[in-house]
Amino acid sequence: MKTLLTMIMMTTQLMANGQATTNKKTFSRETAVAIEIDASTEIVWALLTTASDYTRWNSTITSMEGDIALNETVKLKSTLDPDRIFKLKVKKMNPGKLMIWSSGAAPFFMGLRTYTLSENDEGSTTFTMTEKIGGLMFPMAAGSIPPFDAVFQQFAADLKKEAELISNQNQ
Amino acid sequence: MATIKDLNADFEACKGQLKSYLLRMTASTEDVDDIIQDTYIKANASISSFEGKSTLKTWIFAIASNLARDLLRSKKRWPENVTDICREAALSNRDFLGEMMNIRMTSPHGDFEIKEHITFCFACVSKSLPLEQQLVLLLKQVHDFKVKEIAVIIDNTEAMVKYYLHTARQKMMEIFDHRCSLINKQGICHQCTELNGIFNPKQDAQEELVKIDMVKKAQEKDKEQLFDLRLEIVKSIDPYDSPASELQLRHLKHNKGVMDKHLKEK
Repeated sequence: MKTLLTMIMMTTQLMANGQATTNKKTFSRETAVAIEIDASTEIVWALLTTASDYTRWNSTITSMEGDIALNETVKLKSTLDPDRIFKLKVKKMNPGKLMIWSSGAAPFFMGLRTYTLSENDEGSTTFTMTEKIGGLMFPMAAGSIPPFDAVFQQFAADLKKEAELISNQNQ
Repeated sequence: MATIKDLNADFEACKGQLKSYLLRMTASTEDVDDIIQDTYIKANASISSFEGKSTLKTWIFAIASNLARDLLRSKKRWPENVTDICREAALSNRDFLGEMMNIRMTSPHGDFEIKEHITFCFACVSKSLPLEQQLVLLLKQVHDFKVKEIAVIIDNTEAMVKYYLHTARQKMMEIFDHRCSLINKQGICHQCTELNGIFNPKQDAQEELVKIDMVKKAQEKDKEQLFDLRLEIVKSIDPYDSPASELQLRHLKHNKGVMDKHLKEK
């Protein structure tokens, strides 16, 4: 039990450094990144939920249309695949804490992007972003889906930089 | 505990600043007059509930800001290219141009100065920001309220005030960097020098421009510093009481009319 707890703590610590990790399985792939941000959850949440402002601070997003609100669909272009328009539906929103976007259709192929914010004691925020893609068709498509790690790391780094810049403004 | 006497004294002391702030929010002298009146009535009626957690001035600005927000919330924001749209409308409106020229020639507040137009332009362009962003930008950067005080005025957290302020600044810098020929040789808007040519035909515009720090330092300063220099100009001019106030207020009324029509048609 103690070993397991230590392993979990090490993983959390490792992920909060902004390094992405990917776990591959036959029918799914999951990429995750976590980073500690020296800003309140409110600022981080505001950045994550203002579609019109994304391209200004997030170098991995080249365009975004739509409102980031529950049950709304957002169309975005990413450096991950510059020619493709990703259509994502906002499935769940718990302000300041959790947001889930989905794409595709179960059970064939589905992507779930989860953003989680947790407030730390000293007022900082731990931001976690995971994306799980998978389904019955996944094994056939897996080879053509680029790795997400580098883009996830950049997303987390951009978010940290922007949120901390805002937080550190003069009073 | 504050008294009506305290309120009257503080209201009178900050009334000028409040009017300038509301004018930049609403772009309408009529709306400003209404909000000023309603603010006083509300403040007077609820002075007993003032708990002294902020200054009276902050409390008065909070009441006025709420009234302005109630008025503006349902209205569409102006587009970033507001000055282009209004320029076209002005050029095809001979009566308006005649009226402006008459003010220029006869009014003691009818001077045209480029820095006055920079202030006017700022007011118009800032109306393209989301309402909360414009409000916070004006309160912090034009009227020198502290983040903590603005949080009270807009009834939000300090974190969100900082967020609105940052995003407002970034957006305004981006717009001016793209549009303003005073700071960018490729800038697509030359309206201030164009109007200077109309209202001051014998004046050398270049000579006037080099007197303005923001223009003088356009090549050597970065966007943030140029925006701060622009804000210094804005802060230095009271739109109700300047050598060009009558001319600029008439121009603002024109732009508001054009925008109301433009947004309605849209």
